[in-house]
Amino acid sequence: MDKQMQARLEALLETVQKPSRYTGGEVNEIKKDWAGKTTCCFAFPDTYEVAMSHLGMKVLYESINAQEDLLCERVMMPWTDMIEGLKEQGIPLYSLESRRALSAFDMVGFTLQYEMSYTNILKMLELGGIALHNKDRDENAPFVIAGGPCAFNPEPLAPFIDAFLLGDGEHATNEMLRAIGAGRKAGKNRAAILRDLAQIEGVYVPDLYEATYHEDGRLAAFTPLDKSAPLPVKKRIELDLNEAPFPTSIPVPYTQAVHDRIVLEIMRGCTRGCRFCQAGMLYRPVRERSPEQLFALAEQLVAATGYEEMSLSSLSTGDYSQLLELIKGLNERFCDQRVSLSLPSLRIDNQLQEALVDTAQVKKSGLTLAPEAGTQRLRDVINKGVTEEDLLRTVSEAFASGWNNVKLYFMIGLPYETDEDLLGIADLARKVVNCYYAIPKGQRARGLKVVVSASTFVPKPMTPFQWAAQDTLEEIRRKQALLRSALNIKGVTFNWHDPETSFLEACFARGDRRLAKVLYRAYELGCLLDGWNEHFKYDAWMQAFTDTGLDPAFYANRERDKDELMPWDLADIGVTKKYLWRENERARNAEVTPDCRLGCEGCGLTRFEGVCRG
Amino acid sequence: MKMLVVFEKMGAHRFLGHLDLQRAMQRALRRSGLPVTYSQGFNPHLQLSFAAPLSVGIQGEREIMEVPLSETISEADFLAKLNDTLPQNMKAKAAVLQEDKVAPAMARMAAATYVLRPDEHFEQLMAAVPGFLSQERIPFMKRGKAGIREEDLRPLIYNLMAKGDTLVTVLATSSKGTARADLLFTSLCEFAGIAPPRCLITRTALLDERFVPLEGA
Ligand code: SF4
Repeated sequence: MDKQMQARLEALLETVQKPSRYTGGEVNEIKKDWAGKTTCCFAFPDTYEVAMSHLGMKVLYESINAQEDLLCERVMMPWTDMIEGLKEQGIPLYSLESRRALSAFDMVGFTLQYEMSYTNILKMLELGGIALHNKDRDENAPFVIAGGPCAFNPEPLAPFIDAFLLGDGEHATNEMLRAIGAGRKAGKNRAAILRDLAQIEGVYVPDLYEATYHEDGRLAAFTPLDKSAPLPVKKRIELDLNEAPFPTSIPVPYTQAVHDRIVLEIMRGCTRGCRFCQAGMLYRPVRERSPEQLFALAEQLVAATGYEEMSLSSLSTGDYSQLLELIKGLNERFCDQRVSLSLPSLRIDNQLQEALVDTAQVKKSGLTLAPEAGTQRLRDVINKGVTEEDLLRTVSEAFASGWNNVKLYFMIGLPYETDEDLLGIADLARKVVNCYYAIPKGQRARGLKVVVSASTFVPKPMTPFQWAAQDTLEEIRRKQALLRSALNIKGVTFNWHDPETSFLEACFARGDRRLAKVLYRAYELGCLLDGWNEHFKYDAWMQAFTDTGLDPAFYANRERDKDELMPWDLADIGVTKKYLWRENERARNAEVTPDCRLGCEGCGLTRFEGVCRG
Repeated sequence: MKMLVVFEKMGAHRFLGHLDLQRAMQRALRRSGLPVTYSQGFNPHLQLSFAAPLSVGIQGEREIMEVPLSETISEADFLAKLNDTLPQNMKAKAAVLQEDKVAPAMARMAAATYVLRPDEHFEQLMAAVPGFLSQERIPFMKRGKAGIREEDLRPLIYNLMAKGDTLVTVLATSSKGTARADLLFTSLCEFAGIAPPRCLITRTALLDERFVPLEGA
C-alpha cells in the first residue's frame, strides 16, 4: 500500500465501526519479511470477532509461519461500512499484517465453516482484486484454496476455487504452498501447478473433473479429465496429534472475540456415531493429545497471551480417556495464575465432581444438554446415546448443587419424526421442571430457568441421513407452532429460528456444481453476510434460484435413492457409503449402533492403512 | 504500594475503546509476571485504575493508570518487565512507586493538554482563536442522564493557542467539568465558519489543579 492509500485508509478507519477489526497489530501477531518466501493469506469469510475465535486459523497461522520459506498473514470479512469505505477510497481488501492486497499473495486460503458464508468469499475475492471465477485468473493471480468442514462437499464452490483441501491441514497446507512456490520458481504455468497440487494427498482440483447430469437433474457421472486427477480424493489425516503442530503463542485480539480465551484441542474425532452429525463421520478416527503435551502447551499459551480463561475443545470431551488427570492437572497448574477453566456440561461423574469441588477455577456457567430429540424412540433413530434417566439424574444433581439454569438443545425435522416425538420435547422439559421442584425450597437456588432451543435439522452429506429429505418450510413452521403451544410451561422459555436459513443450508450442504450459478446470482443481487440475520435476504436467494432455473426443493426436500451418485462421492472420508446406508436402515428401524470403541462397527476406516485398528 | 504508570496509546491504538484498553493492559500485566494484586472472589481480576478514559479516535502520549502491587518492586524493573510485553505504540514511559495513601490519579486530575492537528484550513482556524476565546459564552449541547441540555464550554478552556501547524489547548477534565477536545475543535470550526476538516487529536499530558503532570514534574 503506498503512502497516499495508507493515509486514505487511516481516515477511513476513523469513520467505521470497530476499527480495530482492520488494524491488526495484536500481541503475538507475526510479521515476516516477504523476500524469497511463498506467501499465503488465511482468509476467514466472517467478521474479525468470529474469525479470532477460530482455533484452526491460529493453528495454521503459526505452523505456516514457523517455516522459514513460507509466510502466512490474515484477512477477514469486512463489515458493510468498511466494504463501502474500501470501495469509495479505492483501497483493495488487505491483509492485517503487511497491508497488502489479497491479489499480492501466492495463495489465498479460505476456511469453509458454514455454508452461509459463501457469498462472503465472493465479496472478499472481489474486494481483494482477484477474479471470482478460477478460469478468469491470470498467471500472477493467487491460487485460491479452501478447506474446513464444508470443503468435503466442495461442488457449489467449484468454479470459484482453484483447489480444495479435504481433511486435516497442518502439513497439507505447507505442502500446497511449497508446490505453488516451487512451480512458480520453475516457471510452470497455472494449469501445471494445479496438476501438481492434485498430487498432494487430500487435494481436490475441481477443474480436473467433469460432472454430467440426468435430465431430471440428478448427477449422472463424475469423471476426471486428466490422468493426474485422483478419484475418489482421499481425505488427509494427521495420525498423531502429539506430532501435529499446535500454536503456543496466538494473537490476542483487542476487541473482544466471540470466544476470547485459550482453546486446547484435546482430541479429534468421535466414535459415538450420532447419525445426524457430520463432524462425527468426517473426523474419524479418534486421536487424543496427551495430558503432558496439553499441560506444556497450556503453560506456553498462558505465558504468551495473558488470557484469563481456558477451555477444552473436542467433539465429545467426556470421552477423553484421561479427562480427570487432565482437569486436575490444569487446575493445579493454573489455579495460582488465576486462569479459569471453563468446561462444557459433561456427565460429571463423582470422581470428577470431587476433583472440582473446591476449585473456584472451574466456571459454573449454566448446564447445557443436547438430547436432540424428545423421545427415546427418536433418540434411537438418530443414535444419540442419551437416556431420559441419565438426563434427569444429571439435571437433578445440578439443581441439588445450586444450579438453576438449564439449556436443552433439540432438533426438529429429524428423519422419521412424528408429532409424538415433538410433544416428547415438552414432556421432557416438564420433567426437568419437576426435578427442580422436587428439591426442597431452601436447598435449591431460586429462579428456575429452563431454555429449550429447537433448531431445524439440515441433512448433511457424509452422514447416514445424506439421503433424507428436509422438511418443507411449511412443515417446519407447523412443527414449531405445535411445540410453541406445547411448551407453554412456567419456567420454560422456547427458542426457535425462522427456518429459511436452514433451508438454504440444506441446499448448499448437498449441492452440486450447478448451484454455483445460484451463488453467483445471489451475490450479484446483493446477498452478503447471510449468517447475520439483519443481512439475510431470503427473497433475493429465491430470486437467484428462479433466475438460474434451479429448484431449491430438488436439493433440500428430495429423498435420494440408495444408489444415487452424490456430488460429494468424489471424496473418500474413510467411512464408506455402504456403512452410511446400513446406518440409515438401522435408523429406519430405530436400532442403535454402539460406540465403536466397544467393538468395531466396520465403518470402512480400516481401508486406510494404519489409521484405525478397527 | 501502588505503581503509577505513564503509557502511550498512539497510532492504531487510538481506536481502542476503554474496555479494550483495560483488557489489553490486564493481559500485559499477567504476561509480565509482575507482582500485582488481584481481587478476591470467583473471577479474580486486576484492579487497574485509569486516570481518565480517552475517547475513541484520540491518541494519548502520556496516559496514566495505577496498578496495585502485592510486593514492592523497583520502578526501573517494573518498567522494563512491562515494556517487554507491551505492544508497539502502547509502551510504558515512566513508573512512579507510590504509597497506597496517595490520592488516586483520577481524583487529582484537573486538566489535560491536547494537541490538535487539522488536515486543512489551519490559517483560518488560527486566525479565529482570539475571537473564539473572547466570547462570553460558548454554548454546546451535552447529552446527560436527564436528556440533552445546554452547557458553556468557555470556562472549561484554560488555554488555546497555535503552535507550529497545530493548536495546543488545556481543557478542564475533572468531576466538576470536562471539555472534550473534539468538541472544542468543532466549536472553533463553527466559529470560523468552516466545515470541520479531519483532525488528529493527541492528549499530551494529564495535569493536577496546579497544572503539574500527575506523575510529577
Ligand atoms: S474402523 Fe471400526 S473402530 Fe475404527 S472408526 Fe470405524 S467403526 Fe470405529
